[in-house]
Amino acid sequence: MRPRVPSERSRRAVALTALASVGLVAGAAWVSRRRPPRRRPEGSRAARQVRQGAALLAGSVLADSTMEHYRGGFHNRTMFVAPVSSGLALVSALAPGMMTRRARQAVNAGAVGAGLAGHLFHLRNVLRRPGALSWESMFYAAPLGAPGAMTLAGLAGLAATRLETGQPRGAEALRAGRIGSLGTVAGLLGTTAEVALLHFRGAFHNPMMFAPVILPPLAALAVADAARRPDRARLRLARILLRATAAMGLAGAAFHAWGVHRNMGGWRNWRQNLQVAPPLPAPPSFTGVALAGLGAAHLLEEARR
Amino acid sequence: MTDAPRPYPGYDVLAKWDTPSWDAITREVVAHRLDRVPERRFFEPAEWETLAALCDTVLPQPDRERPIPLAPFVDAAMAEDRTTGTRWAALPTMREAWRRGLAAIDAEARAVYGRRFHALPADARESLLRAIDDEDVRAPEWRDLPPRRLFRHVLANEIVRIYYAHPDAWSEIGFGGPASPRGYVRLSANRRDAWEADLERPKRRSERRK
Amino acid sequence: MTRGIPDVRATEGRAPDVFSRDGWVPMRSHRDGEDVDFAIVGTGAGGGVMAAKLAEAGFSVVAFDAGPFFRPLADFASEEREQDKLYWTDERISDGRDPIELGSNNSGRAVGGSTVHFQMVALRFRPEWFLARSALGYGRDWPVDWREMWRAYDEVEDALKIAGPVRYPWGPRRGRYPYRPHEVNASGLVLARGAEALGVGWAPCPIATLSAPRGRAPPCVYRGFCKIGCSTNAKQSILNTYIPRALAAGAEVRDLAMVARIETDASGRATGLHYHRGGEWRFQQTRNVVVAGYSIETPRLLLNSAGPAHRHGLANAEGLVGRELMVHVNDAVWGTMEDEIRWYKGPPSMAVTEHWNYEDRKDFHGGYAIMSQGPLPTDFATSMVGNLGAFGMDLRRRMAGYNHMAGLKIVGEVMPDPENRVTLSDETDALGLPVPRITFGYGENDRAIGRHARGFMSEMLRAAGATDLFETTGTAHLMGGCPMGFSPQDSVVDADGRAWSCDNLWICDGSVMPTGGGVNPSLTIMANSARIGHRIRALAARGELARAA
Ligand SMILES: Cc1cc2nc3c(=O)[nH]c(=O)nc-3n(C[C@H](O)[C@H](O)[C@H](O)COP(=O)(O)OP(=O)(O)OC[C@H]3O[C@@H](n4cnc5c(N)ncnc54)[C@H](O)[C@@H]3O)c2cc1C
Ligand code: SF4
Repeated sequence: MRPRVPSERSRRAVALTALASVGLVAGAAWVSRRRPPRRRPEGSRAARQVRQGAALLAGSVLADSTMEHYRGGFHNRTMFVAPVSSGLALVSALAPGMMTRRARQAVNAGAVGAGLAGHLFHLRNVLRRPGALSWESMFYAAPLGAPGAMTLAGLAGLAATRLETGQPRGAEALRAGRIGSLGTVAGLLGTTAEVALLHFRGAFHNPMMFAPVILPPLAALAVADAARRPDRARLRLARILLRATAAMGLAGAAFHAWGVHRNMGGWRNWRQNLQVAPPLPAPPSFTGVALAGLGAAHLLEEARR
Repeated sequence: MTDAPRPYPGYDVLAKWDTPSWDAITREVVAHRLDRVPERRFFEPAEWETLAALCDTVLPQPDRERPIPLAPFVDAAMAEDRTTGTRWAALPTMREAWRRGLAAIDAEARAVYGRRFHALPADARESLLRAIDDEDVRAPEWRDLPPRRLFRHVLANEIVRIYYAHPDAWSEIGFGGPASPRGYVRLSANRRDAWEADLERPKRRSERRK
Repeated sequence: MTRGIPDVRATEGRAPDVFSRDGWVPMRSHRDGEDVDFAIVGTGAGGGVMAAKLAEAGFSVVAFDAGPFFRPLADFASEEREQDKLYWTDERISDGRDPIELGSNNSGRAVGGSTVHFQMVALRFRPEWFLARSALGYGRDWPVDWREMWRAYDEVEDALKIAGPVRYPWGPRRGRYPYRPHEVNASGLVLARGAEALGVGWAPCPIATLSAPRGRAPPCVYRGFCKIGCSTNAKQSILNTYIPRALAAGAEVRDLAMVARIETDASGRATGLHYHRGGEWRFQQTRNVVVAGYSIETPRLLLNSAGPAHRHGLANAEGLVGRELMVHVNDAVWGTMEDEIRWYKGPPSMAVTEHWNYEDRKDFHGGYAIMSQGPLPTDFATSMVGNLGAFGMDLRRRMAGYNHMAGLKIVGEVMPDPENRVTLSDETDALGLPVPRITFGYGENDRAIGRHARGFMSEMLRAAGATDLFETTGTAHLMGGCPMGFSPQDSVVDADGRAWSCDNLWICDGSVMPTGGGVNPSLTIMANSARIGHRIRALAARGELARAA
């Protein structure tokens, strides 16, 4: 009789991860296959998806920055800017009717600006910590990359406002699709970099933690490739990988919920664990970027016809 | 004697009793400490008087309506023969060191002031202990007892351990107290976690440090 | 005080499941009369690793510990006085010019040994220290190549999932620590600021507590009670790493089993152990014995095990058992910060500088590491009583500054000296065993280290903004007592940890360390034990080892 050894990175977990990743991609492929017959023009569909992406991104930033800045005790007034700005961006994406178009544009441009400024604030915070630009500061001072998500949310919001005015066609759609793709690629890669840093900090203790550093770059590659030459096969591959990335973002939130449970005291100790365990709202930002990317793919599709 | 320090008036570490900062065994242990102050079992009544006065000099608590009980826990430790694991070669076993130490302090009080230790006013007790710590002693009881070693490493050591293991002492110094399963998140200077009391920094440091 | 020490738990085919509040894991059990391959005395840093290594190599193993078998989640309170139950508090006589504090200062008694309450600092020896005498001109050489030790460090660091910096600033390049560093707390950042101001390097301290989940253990919650036992299992002690491994591989652990004497036959070979458990004396037969009771209990046991062929105590033909006992200089400087530091948050030592271990331009031998501090209230208060003679309102006022205090403390190398030693006194303890007497005095070099360090740390603290500095002195850790060496004339055991004068007796704990180095010892003890485990396995493969039928 052999007692159970404290399990670590068990083979079962590795197998599960592999299976789940394959499942994600396969699932996305399957969803892409049985697309309903296109009735609406691609353009409006693109607008909707970009707006959904913007909403998700803004929501994710709102929740994440609120939590993180709360953890930092809002010790600096400017720390309120992130939640306020992303909150406005969220409203503009979810209920565009509540604001004038100009107001929406202003709000989203504001988010872009706040995101860019955020990098500087965070950089200042890092540089003030002993060790300056060391790994220790990268891990535990204000995260340098995080404000990028707000910039992305703002950009997606601006794009959505732009698209709602009319359906770009032909060369114009191609141009818009390419710009959107570029943003998607940047968003995917930036978010991946942030996740890679944090999952490295967590020593990739669970093999699932590799998924968000592998899948999104593949999706980014596919998107870039499709933007360069938007033929059918390339667009399809990009869509499959984007959908998989979107699903992964949602699954990630569930994994992070499991992570909260694995910390001392589990959910009963939520006041501590929501702050220190993997952040619940972070993974859906992948979903947001991926949705915006799907919008861009539709534009490319439109241009092809 | 100067005033008792009160850097954090109003802070009570026990306010966290029913939160995830306290686990079952900690509650059990602290409740036991608070509710069941042991009876005298080991020391004779005369020794007890000296012990109580010694505790009151090592950690005076004129500011407390209900002082942290010290002597009863020293007595309990002796009754249980609970030791620290170090027997300084110059000293007898722990129980004997305490018995003879209390007797020597009492004898010193008589030699210097002509009165028993517990009958002395607080400042006389304090200066007597200072003299003992400086090895400036007269009573013959000290002949083979090194005064400083005995005072610092046996007597005061135990009393101080008991005092600072009491929640009132934790509140006094602003210690966060028990923390399991919930620990802390904000580790930087000047940041407290939401479940930590606002300790209110004293207005002027100099007052407190004097 | 209420719960105190549990009764015998590892018995009748099961042992406590340390990851649960009241669960069990199955355990292989042996009878006293049954011949086993190995009987191990002590389950701490040395003995715990050995139990796992030998059981995993397929040997039958029984490991004895005088202490109880705790389940941290249910048994460890956040309260200092209650947690005295982790320490070896039987009185031992402390003698010499500079008598050392024992008990909670350096001796644990529990399954898992002193690692149950250690502060988790996990530093490696500087490679040159293994050749201290020939390369650096002091102390003794180890009979072991540093690269072999560094491979063993890799192994135990992985077993403990040490959380350390991504690049360690001192010494030869090493592989990445298994887990990433923790966030350095405010107290650690004081060290960092001081180091940066003086132009010396610093790093987040590599520590044996999880910075990410592992199996059934959660990551550290920064509660700061590490020194009195970690109630979350984040701390990677022997109790929740190697002991579960040993049990899973078929070792038996006997808690609350005090070994009094090793029996030897006329030829001088060990035949079994006399031990006290459950209120009675018993005898376990065995083919081989490994002793790992740490630097006082190991010599005490050997000295108390005289036999027909070992007149002056087991393995003591040359009178070396108990000699060259070492400690670490543990001097410290403390100061008050304007900022509220609350140093009780997080493990006590989260930042380190090994500058003076790797810098050779200095006027003393050996070196020291400086670590940031975060003592719990009674610990800090008693150090002020013992060092400054503070008491009365003066003490209460000093303690009122607790949340604004910061401190730096060293682990400083002490030279081996044969006159620093463990002997048996004429007194006996409750079981009738002779009480050990520990004689210790600093040498001139040791004092020079303390002076140098206190001066340097004062500068660091001042540079970091501290005021009202004061110093304390003290010792930490134990090493030596049964040194490992090159010949029966200079040592008790050989490079394999095998006693020169008893070929089925091994020692694998802190007592075999020939020098102490300027870092905390447990990682080195574990690595050395793992290495000895490999050697024993190799000996067995060559048929040079007695096996049970
Ligand atoms: C407060 C404190 C903090 C520390 N912090 C650190 C740190 O941060 N980093 C670090 O590297 N080191 C630290 N140490 C030191 C470290 O814990 C020890 O050096 C190490 O555990 C010693 O290993 P060992 O195997 O030699 O002995 P131990 O781990 O002490 O194990 C010896 C075991 O043997 C048992 N035993 C002894 N004699 C007998 C007998 N006759 N019969 C049965 N059982 C017996 C004891 O009960 C004990 O469990 C610390 C120590 C203390 C006290
Ligand atoms: S600080 Fe971390 S290692 Fe220390 S007792 Fe708390 S959880 Fe355990």
